[in-house]
Amino acid sequence: MSTPTVGIVLVSHSAELAAGAAHLASQVSGGTVTIIAAGGTDDGDLGTSAAKVADGLRHANQGAGVVVLPDLGSAVLTVKAVLEDYGEAATVLLADAPFVEGAVAATVTAAAGGDVKAVAAAAEEARHVRKL
Amino acid sequence: MSASYEQGITLEGDLHARPAGALAVAAGRFAAVISVTAGGHTADAKSVLGVMGLGATSGQHLTVTASGPDAREAVAALIAILSEATKVGG
Repeated sequence: MSTPTVGIVLVSHSAELAAGAAHLASQVSGGTVTIIAAGGTDDGDLGTSAAKVADGLRHANQGAGVVVLPDLGSAVLTVKAVLEDYGEAATVLLADAPFVEGAVAATVTAAAGGDVKAVAAAAEEARHVRKL
Repeated sequence: MSASYEQGITLEGDLHARPAGALAVAAGRFAAVISVTAGGHTADAKSVLGVMGLGATSGQHLTVTASGPDAREAVAALIAILSEATKVGG
């Protein structure tokens, strides 16, 4: 399809966790959505990197906006700090969602052509879906 | 008032994450309200987590129900995906 889909940025304290969640979400959604894993610090330690998040936003935005999913508390702070300096903040939504389930739900909705609000809502609804 | 359509299928494989994803991606492209029912539980076909949560397995009967302007096409498309995607498992 020629219409761009919403991009996803996964911000985790762990590079492996972000990459693994991105791989899983990509496999489940059919591989058509740009998902950027922004995990770990610039030195490769556990933590988050404003530079990785900023790069992720640029690469994930294919013209339809971006939904960002943080894993734990300070990842949220890093994302918020980056968004303050980001030029097109209106097209970027920060989703308050479980990391893995939210990543999968958001990516599937993006693959179906949902807009940023629909994609963020799909991620946040993941909080209410029971596994058992 | 728009018509409602329904069709059933017996799964040839388990409804794992990837077939559930393919189903939800396809469902999300339709305007119709679409649900999937298996084993007495019903999920929104556009919610991949809901579809996965059905835990539908090989040999189980699954029903796709849709209502809305493109309901007929939606049911046909999703039944085709279920028929194809669960053959090899996910």
